[in-house]
Amino acid sequence: MRTNKIIVAAAILALGLLAVPLYFTSTFILHMFTLVFFYIALTAAWNIPAFGGKFSLGHAAFFGLGAYAASILYVKYGISPLIGIFAGTVCAMLGGVILSFPLIRLKGPFFTLASIAFAEVLRMVAIDWRSMTNGSVGLNIPFKPGWLNLTFTSGMPFYYIALGLAVLVILLAWWIRSSALGYHLRAAAADEDAAKALGINTAKSHFFALMWSSGLTGMIAVFYVFYNYVLEPGTAFSMDLFSLQPAMNGIIGGMGTVWGPVIGAIIMTPLGEFLRFYLGTIQQGLNFVVYGLMLIAVVNFVPGGIVSLMAPWFKKKKSGESSARDN
Amino acid sequence: MDDLLVVRNLTKNFGGLAAVSEVSFEVRRGEILGLIGPNGAGKTTLFNLISGLLASNQGSIKLEGEDLTKMPPYRRSAMGVGRTFQVVRPFDMTVLENVMVPIFAHYKSAKEAKGKAYEILEMVRLENMADSMPSSLTLAQRKRIEVARALATKPKLLLLDEVLAGLNPSEVAENLPLIRQVRDSGVTILFIEHLMDAMMAISERVLVMDQGALIACGTPDEVTSDQCVITAYLGEEAPEC
Amino acid sequence: MELIVQVCVSGLLLGGIYALISIGLNLIFGVVRIINFAHGEMVMVAMYLTFWLNYFFGMDPYVATIIVLPVMFLFGVLIQRVIVQPIQSSSANMKIFATVALSLILQNVALIVCKGNFRTVQVPYGMSTFELAGIFISVPRLVAFFAALGSITLLYYFLKYSYTGKALRAIVEDHTIARLMGVKVQRLYLLAFGIGCAFSALGGVLLMPFSSVYPTVGIPFTLIAFIVVVLGGLGSMGGTFLAGLFIGVVEAVGGTYVSPALKEAIYFGIFIIAILIRPQGIFGKGKGSEEVGLK
Repeated sequence: MRTNKIIVAAAILALGLLAVPLYFTSTFILHMFTLVFFYIALTAAWNIPAFGGKFSLGHAAFFGLGAYAASILYVKYGISPLIGIFAGTVCAMLGGVILSFPLIRLKGPFFTLASIAFAEVLRMVAIDWRSMTNGSVGLNIPFKPGWLNLTFTSGMPFYYIALGLAVLVILLAWWIRSSALGYHLRAAAADEDAAKALGINTAKSHFFALMWSSGLTGMIAVFYVFYNYVLEPGTAFSMDLFSLQPAMNGIIGGMGTVWGPVIGAIIMTPLGEFLRFYLGTIQQGLNFVVYGLMLIAVVNFVPGGIVSLMAPWFKKKKSGESSARDN
Repeated sequence: MDDLLVVRNLTKNFGGLAAVSEVSFEVRRGEILGLIGPNGAGKTTLFNLISGLLASNQGSIKLEGEDLTKMPPYRRSAMGVGRTFQVVRPFDMTVLENVMVPIFAHYKSAKEAKGKAYEILEMVRLENMADSMPSSLTLAQRKRIEVARALATKPKLLLLDEVLAGLNPSEVAENLPLIRQVRDSGVTILFIEHLMDAMMAISERVLVMDQGALIACGTPDEVTSDQCVITAYLGEEAPEC
Repeated sequence: MELIVQVCVSGLLLGGIYALISIGLNLIFGVVRIINFAHGEMVMVAMYLTFWLNYFFGMDPYVATIIVLPVMFLFGVLIQRVIVQPIQSSSANMKIFATVALSLILQNVALIVCKGNFRTVQVPYGMSTFELAGIFISVPRLVAFFAALGSITLLYYFLKYSYTGKALRAIVEDHTIARLMGVKVQRLYLLAFGIGCAFSALGGVLLMPFSSVYPTVGIPFTLIAFIVVVLGGLGSMGGTFLAGLFIGVVEAVGGTYVSPALKEAIYFGIFIIAILIRPQGIFGKGKGSEEVGLK
């Protein structure tokens, strides 16, 4: 009975989301939805290593790698971004391989520091490697509409692309969390030593989590860049936009859970845009002061994130799901 | 009787201080071997060395003739070394899921893992608690989760670190037969315990450690009458042992 | 040949300031066992204070020390009391989140109040140099170096001989002792945070005569300080000092011979290598460091 209700609710939600661009033609509303979807995807991807308790403040590194790989291929060599998607994913994963060395050796905070340093190094390389990246001027994606160029005359295709990405990453995250890898990561997050003694190669688990996370982030980045037409080192490797923002969404929503990042992105993205564009014209930087205060409030009062406040509701839903599986 | 585990000259130094020094002993297949000693004698360090959470400075550890000394912990677990921890810290998931975690190393499908986990929970009599969160259980029950989790790795040798400590007498009476039952299912047991009566009741042999060294080894009766052991426990100046 | 000596000397002098900032972090890290992601922002705040005192009252940066250091000491005490103490028993991640939040707030409040401009203090000796055996030595950098050396020596003797200093050292070496101290330990934490903050602030003040301040100036300092502490070792004053000098020289040499744009990349590279090789620090004891995840 319960499961049926959930299926109905999900179907209504899905139809509603699919219909949004048909009824809201305002570019602003469409843009806001698209941005929320992008951030749901980015946050859910950021969150995968967090299943294992690893917390990165350097995901801009993967974002920048993915974004630059596809853009350079397109702008410099004329290769379609549809191929660039794969190139971006692979490049970001290679970045993940490099960052996995400190990841495997280091617990908690020092991994976080290493991740910041990694993103900063890449940003500086992007500024310095002018022949490829045009330095701090950046690359412009030429406006040649068409599916092959991932360039469109309306905002509608990107609305659906971003929605698809968000759904894809949520499903992947859910699947990872309920697979062997997910259990191993959660065990490692709770007690690394106990997990090892129980036969879990925790280093391997963290490595795979980072591979998923970096690859997905790189892939999302390719679409994001073609949605925005421009990329320069300050944006592509932006600590604020792609390292802090997903982390902030994840922590405030509920780090290491499937739905935390979704809730976090839904709340934080419009809030961030509001603070940036309405108050930001008065006071640049106010949005981050507000984020900082929210973060301190979360740490002190709801360490599990907003999702933990909704735990009773989710628990019921979860038991509904599992009984559906057993039948 | 053949030897399952052979430890030779095992040594671990922490900045000049020998936490375990030149320890050699054997665990015979199918026995219940007790390990006692005053606080800080190096018992838990010895467990960490055998399970691989700490690397030894010198010496060797062999399980069924295979050298474990350089293996990472997860490989030792796959070889058949299971252990529990003195401080129980169940993972933040249901009791059943806690037991499923190690099973996933052998079965990739969640359904199979679930079935196996139920079997093990029945063995430790926690099957009715399968869907509860560990935090809602009593200490005695949480200690049994530890044992269940370790059993789920299909160990040949099980290292139990104070699974009875902190329990009241009726809980001890409830958990004690479990140790024997596990052994009877074919698992060799090496266990640390402070409760002397319980220890003496179920172990066939006992090892005694003091200040990182093995000072005695024998049947419970032999050990309790050993002069060195008595002095180690009473804290007097030890005569030449 | 002369260039390399010249570069090394200016790197060494700058390294003194890095050492100062890192000693502050080392003390906080060692005693309170918190990874303070807002450490660089304390340097930033001190730099702004120095700038304002000069801007509004024409106060010389070195004289401003008298005001800036006590203020920053209290600022550190306040941070410990208001931000850190309530979450003392939370997980290491929660503590990171809290200090990341603090760093965001400080950076962006600075941006709101002071805008993004680069601010400098104009002092007659700002650019003055003298020549010694064919090498040009910047006067404010030399002052900074000796002030750093002096204050680190003072801290060393304080920790070694005073009763309070010994208590702080005992906590650094074996954090389980902290639990036995009960109420008193909270006061020691406040003190350690205050002193740590004041030392970083001194680094900031000494930087002002020859460099500029802007809201994000602190970010590299946080990373530099961590590199230095990792290299120098938790609780080791001498190790931290030497590591500070080392990073100063590496930065100067890398900046001159490789590329000024990549000089930061170089010490970030060193950071990653350093934590890979010796997460517990080259000279350090690292005992009990698993509490901050440094294992």
